[in-house]
Amino acid sequence: MFEKNASEKAMPETAASRTTAPEQIAVSIRHLSKSFDGVEVLRDVDLEVREGDVVTILGSSGSGKSTLLRCINWLEQPDRGSIHIGGQRIGVNDAGRPMPVRELARVRARTGMVFQSFNLWPHLNVLHNVTEAPIHVLGKSKAEAEAHARELLEKVGMSPKADAYPNTLSGGQKQRVAIARALAMQPQVMLFDEPTSALDPELVGEVLSVIKDLSAEGYTMVIVTHEMAFARAVSDQVVFLEKGLIIEKADPETFFTNPSTERVRKFLERDES
Amino acid sequence: MNASAWQMLQEGAWTTVWISGVSIALGVTAGLILALIRIARIPVVDQILVLYISLARATPLVTLALFIFLSAPTFGLNLDRNVAGILALTLNTTAFNAEIWRSAFRNFSREQREAAMAAGMTPWITFRRIMLPQMMITSLPGLINEMSFLIKGSPAIAVIGIVDLTRVTNRISAVTYEPLPPILVACALYMAAIGCLVWLQRIAERRANRLAT
Amino acid sequence: MSNWEILWSARDQFWSGFLSTMEIFGLSVSAAFVIGCGMLYLLEGSRPRLTVPLRVFIDGMRMLPFLILAYLLYYGLPAFDVRLDAWWSGVGALAVYHGCYFAEIFRGARLTFPPGQVEAAKAHGFTKGKMFFRLILPQIVMQTRPLLGNQLIYALKDTAFLVIITVRELTAAANSLSGTYFIPTEAFIVVIGFYWAVSVVMEIIIKQCGRFSAKRGFDHV
Repeated sequence: MFEKNASEKAMPETAASRTTAPEQIAVSIRHLSKSFDGVEVLRDVDLEVREGDVVTILGSSGSGKSTLLRCINWLEQPDRGSIHIGGQRIGVNDAGRPMPVRELARVRARTGMVFQSFNLWPHLNVLHNVTEAPIHVLGKSKAEAEAHARELLEKVGMSPKADAYPNTLSGGQKQRVAIARALAMQPQVMLFDEPTSALDPELVGEVLSVIKDLSAEGYTMVIVTHEMAFARAVSDQVVFLEKGLIIEKADPETFFTNPSTERVRKFLERDES
Repeated sequence: MNASAWQMLQEGAWTTVWISGVSIALGVTAGLILALIRIARIPVVDQILVLYISLARATPLVTLALFIFLSAPTFGLNLDRNVAGILALTLNTTAFNAEIWRSAFRNFSREQREAAMAAGMTPWITFRRIMLPQMMITSLPGLINEMSFLIKGSPAIAVIGIVDLTRVTNRISAVTYEPLPPILVACALYMAAIGCLVWLQRIAERRANRLAT
Repeated sequence: MSNWEILWSARDQFWSGFLSTMEIFGLSVSAAFVIGCGMLYLLEGSRPRLTVPLRVFIDGMRMLPFLILAYLLYYGLPAFDVRLDAWWSGVGALAVYHGCYFAEIFRGARLTFPPGQVEAAKAHGFTKGKMFFRLILPQIVMQTRPLLGNQLIYALKDTAFLVIITVRELTAAANSLSGTYFIPTEAFIVVIGFYWAVSVVMEIIIKQCGRFSAKRGFDHV
């Protein structure tokens, strides 16, 4: 079922041989816990994402993987634990108090997020969806933002649609625009929340291939997905979440061929059948 | 009807148009501000606004206009009739507009807001650049509908002596002893004005639906 | 004597104004309801030549201010040798005007009425009239309840316009009292309180009716 394309993907040795100096940690998550209405959705989660790495988070629905991703840019506020993005703590300032909204927005701007339901802004055309935040958050000039946006739209294969409005696009096209929109912030890390789950099956491929290209270019990415073959091909590290706990954390080869827990083996078997 | 009757009708129509226009502009803006204050849920202020909206929805315009015009002097204010009329219409329409704005705000997509936050927008930028432009499109049909209601209610200001399009028909018939023709002309003018608004409302609805898909 | 004591001594005038308003309101909205139902029945299409003019009439009414219709009846009709006094002109105008709004509300709901039910009724041998009054109308009234409630509040507020054509109702009472004793603020606060109380009571009643129709699956409007 899974293609073996080890040649295309870094082998575990290569990943391990990368230097792991602390300044090269893009995202560091420590002791993260979160509950909704008394139900624990994340329990003492630790995770480190090195710069240039692709980490995929797997798990059955309700395992807390989306919540974990949404904590990284503080769309959900964890109850305990800390998250640093490029060394900067998010959500809590040096004095240990909740960050003022402006500061929080500044830290959030270091991340780019791609949502399951695209969440394009329908009143803006494709180009302006991409330039909106660079102009009004980063303070770029209109010309500069548009030039950059056109480059990015080219990269995701959407430049012919620059003047179209979101409601005229297919799901796959919307998601590619959403990826360009997130890239336009030149984020330190890209967060993907099930980017292909809302797509018709025939449109999944175009989005996955864009993400694959990004990984080849060395973008740091955290991806929540159900696409196993894709996860295997693109990841440097695979994390398996079960009831809010990380029960397996491994390189993709080990994870998919020789997982250490029974639970993951079951999960993979079910997917294969 | 003679030339002076037509002249008077024209003046009455103009009075209705400018007083309604000013009240609409004030009411739409004030409605947005009230909606935002209500969304902020400031204790006490919120309860006062709820009471105001409930009262304004239940108070007839005629009664409100009389109340404002007659009781202002007892507070030492000598309001011009036109100002009192505008105040009455504005107080009334603001309450309805506030509810329209508020529901546009409350129904605004959470996902889109999250996308804005994830892109590092502050709440103010999110509101100004992402929410408000869309709220304007989605609220417009409701706001235009409320404008029709305001024009239909505007003859109430006749009660405090403003000679609007309805009242002027009395003035004309006092001279011509033929009340029917000016009333029919006034009817036609009202229909034209409100017909225009209904047409605009349809266009606005189409735009709003396009945004929703 | 304080202003409020003056008002208390004039309570009979308020009360009679209030009763007058309620009388006008009750009579005209009942008539309006009947007119609305009747118009809906005529729009059912058994008399095709009537539907278009009726639609034009309903839409035309909805484009007019209420007061101008009252003017038409009170000042305009004598040109045709029909003379109504202010009270009857007012009640008539309210009934026709809000009847058209009721009709429009009903028509909107009729458009989405499940055709399968009509077919089922026909299959059971219902006549057109029986089907309309026993099946269609009750459901449409239940379904449009919140809109009808809103319209009732508009009708209540429109009664105040009648002070302009010299009907003695609640607002007229406040107006004349404030003129006699120079206590406009207090007089109008009391009167606005009356209107408000009636609106609130109507809203509560409409909500209570909601329970009745919710039981029958009509709460999703």
